[in-house]
Amino acid sequence: MTRSDTARRVFHRRVTAALAAAAATVVLLAGCSAGAASATRDTGPVRGGNLVYATDREPTCLDPHNSGDMPQTYIARQYLDSLVSLQKDGSVKPWLASSWTISDDGTQYDFTLKQGVEFTDGTPFDAQAVVDNFTQILDPATQSSTDLLYLTGYFDKATAVSDHVVRITLKRPYSPLLAALSQAFFGMESPKAMARGLAANCESPVGTGPFKVAAWNHERDVELVRNDAYNSAPADAKHQGPAYLDGITWKFLKDNTTRYGALSSGEADVIFNVPPESEGLAKSDPSIELQSFVHSGAPFSLDINTKSTVFSDIRVRKAFVHASDAKEAVESAYNGVFPYEGNNVSSGTPHYDAAYHEPFPYDPAEAKRLLDEAGWTGRDADGYRTKDGETLTVKLPYNADSAETPPADVTILQDIQAMEKRVGIKVVLQALDSSSMNAVWGNPKAYDLLGNYWNSPTPHVMYIKYSKATYDVDNGQNSAFAYDDELDRLLIAGTATTDPAQQAVFYDKAQELLSSQAWTLPLYPIQTRLGISDRVGGVWIEPSEGEPVLSDAYLIDGGK
Amino acid sequence: MVIRVTRRIVEAVVLLLAVGTIVFFLEHAVPGDPAVAILGGAAAHPTKEAVAAVTEQYGFDRPLIAQYGDFLGGLFRLDFGESYTLKQSVTSVIAGQIGPTLALTVSALVIAWLLSIASTLLTAGRPGIVGRLGSVVETVAAGLPQFWLGLVLLLVFAVQLHWFPVIGSGPLGIVLPALTLAIPLAGFLGQVTRDEFEDKQQQPFVLSARSRGLSERAIRGKYVLRHAALPGVTLSGWGLGSLVSGAVIAEVVFARQGIGQVLVTAVSAQDLPLVIGITFVVALVYVVANILTDIAYVVIDPRLRRTTGAAA
Repeated sequence: MTRSDTARRVFHRRVTAALAAAAATVVLLAGCSAGAASATRDTGPVRGGNLVYATDREPTCLDPHNSGDMPQTYIARQYLDSLVSLQKDGSVKPWLASSWTISDDGTQYDFTLKQGVEFTDGTPFDAQAVVDNFTQILDPATQSSTDLLYLTGYFDKATAVSDHVVRITLKRPYSPLLAALSQAFFGMESPKAMARGLAANCESPVGTGPFKVAAWNHERDVELVRNDAYNSAPADAKHQGPAYLDGITWKFLKDNTTRYGALSSGEADVIFNVPPESEGLAKSDPSIELQSFVHSGAPFSLDINTKSTVFSDIRVRKAFVHASDAKEAVESAYNGVFPYEGNNVSSGTPHYDAAYHEPFPYDPAEAKRLLDEAGWTGRDADGYRTKDGETLTVKLPYNADSAETPPADVTILQDIQAMEKRVGIKVVLQALDSSSMNAVWGNPKAYDLLGNYWNSPTPHVMYIKYSKATYDVDNGQNSAFAYDDELDRLLIAGTATTDPAQQAVFYDKAQELLSSQAWTLPLYPIQTRLGISDRVGGVWIEPSEGEPVLSDAYLIDGGK
Repeated sequence: MVIRVTRRIVEAVVLLLAVGTIVFFLEHAVPGDPAVAILGGAAAHPTKEAVAAVTEQYGFDRPLIAQYGDFLGGLFRLDFGESYTLKQSVTSVIAGQIGPTLALTVSALVIAWLLSIASTLLTAGRPGIVGRLGSVVETVAAGLPQFWLGLVLLLVFAVQLHWFPVIGSGPLGIVLPALTLAIPLAGFLGQVTRDEFEDKQQQPFVLSARSRGLSERAIRGKYVLRHAALPGVTLSGWGLGSLVSGAVIAEVVFARQGIGQVLVTAVSAQDLPLVIGITFVVALVYVVANILTDIAYVVIDPRLRRTTGAAA
């Protein structure tokens, strides 16, 4: 459940007009300079060379136990190993844990750990090290957010049963545990390194992973070098043993034009988040390969505050969704690069059911009928609906920072605003700064609609977003302020079984029930999108958080 | 001279204190909770317990006046504390970033001066199309938005022509970002210098120089330019300060290290110690630049040398 709006990825741009002009200049020039096609042949993995990876956002701390923002998990995957490795279907394969058993009541997980694994500072990896990792995550001084959201309410304790067997005891059954632990957010760190304290650990965390952090040049890059002793690759890796690359320069190129320019000019080998506006160029360039991955979790959505006066009525919520024409808004704003998603969970989520892809399709007549039925029959001077002299107004605050709300998202919001006006709903868009947005979250009086997404490797994300428990936590994570006893029952039943067939039944019913509530207006799924030069082979994206895996990557010419 | 500089320094201390105080209270007037910001922002959904622990750790629950007292104490010890988000001392964050920013801004200022002097000498006070063309170019340059200019330079000279790196921290890598900042400033300095140049060309001392048989080139380059440069020099102090605070644009587009980027991140993360530290540095640059401007004035204008000498 990683971050919502602040983590808002990515394609961070402010320059629509400027860019159009600049692009025109380039098109003219491009006419003269022929596309340089490097015709290197890929003949399989070669050892050696340094890979330049360019991403958009820089983490504030390289220890992913702290805070828990997406950029942390992407880079942490390169130097930390997790206990298990997630598969697309939601099952897991061995990683640092070679096997595990789950007690019949689902509250006790015994992990048998790989032997002979060492952290890159020489500390042995054993059961006590795993215990120390949980201790550090739970320590308030670590300032964790994401990890705690997965553990609070379920995790009781971790104990070392023997040198290489660790037991996790839960307060109640929690089958999403394995999927949660597969994320780099739960990567295992050296106890000796963690003992240095947060400041040092943020700067240079130490894991058992394929690479080591050599230096962090803030505002520029992180230098990673190969761990020559690497012997703990996950079972689903393409090869075991040390990485092929000598090292990685993990660069931060916030600006979309610059990042894409670095790839096309050959200064970067792989870029994260190919700008949607450059997608067409990238597709027509034979020297660039595109890889994309749809995250598991909740898509980017406008969550509807059910505590607000107008949206407490389900008819108004349904009318709002029917009138929005969200599908058209998404497709026109992102030129089809981002698909529309109307289900409460993304298509990458295990047990996703396409039957709930579009529960309330565009239907202005139905929207008007529902609003009439709900008593919003009057009209004010501007044509908006009224009831007892009150105008049907809903407010939608959003982060004014273009890194948080990319221009295409603003376009979507404006399109929806225009469509709602046609049925008489007045949508007020409020652009706020980041700290003002922090005060909006969790305050039912501050918004009627709130843009939000949750990347989470399990369908349990529905419980994370909509349950009595998360409502009671009162930290804004239940942003619709909504729960339903039957939905709670279904989702808790889903966590109580480890049988995928049974889970499928519960999670399918949960999607049906959730879709009928209109607690949110889903828009598009979050994706990891990589642009990869043809000088590079072996890059793949793992499914827990869409983390790029570079331990199997190689430079075709070995960096020569 | 000594009195003048001492007075400047006292003024600077008062100014810096005022800047610090204003920023301190402005940051506290912002609606969000800094403890939430430290935990990754509200969208990271930190638990109430985590927020309470951080609030206590940083003393955010203490009365504002007590926090202000601590803050002032820190200022006098020149200790800006530790960045909330980066977990490092503010001094070391700034020390790691100020070098590239100063290198960029000083290069930009030098380039801006070279461009504006070249433009002035070549076109100012010339009759007909040449003079007017110079004036138009300067006006256009002064009006160019840096963000747009940076992208155009990047796309044309780095991405397409490969003359310069897209992302380079080497000596070649500074050219495009420095030009991005320098071209608009050059236009601005050029306009001011040109006006003064054309005015001074009508002065009697030019006529007398001409009657002594000096070449037109010597008159323009030695006599008139010296006069014409004075207003531009005055503006350079302000120019350097604005380059430092505006460096973020070039830093983002060309992915350069620098305090501009850090400041933008710090402001949105409510990282008070870091915001104050960087604001201080920017204010300090203004102060130092103004002192340097005073000195440059004296160097260029011999008349001031005598008067300041007498005063001191």
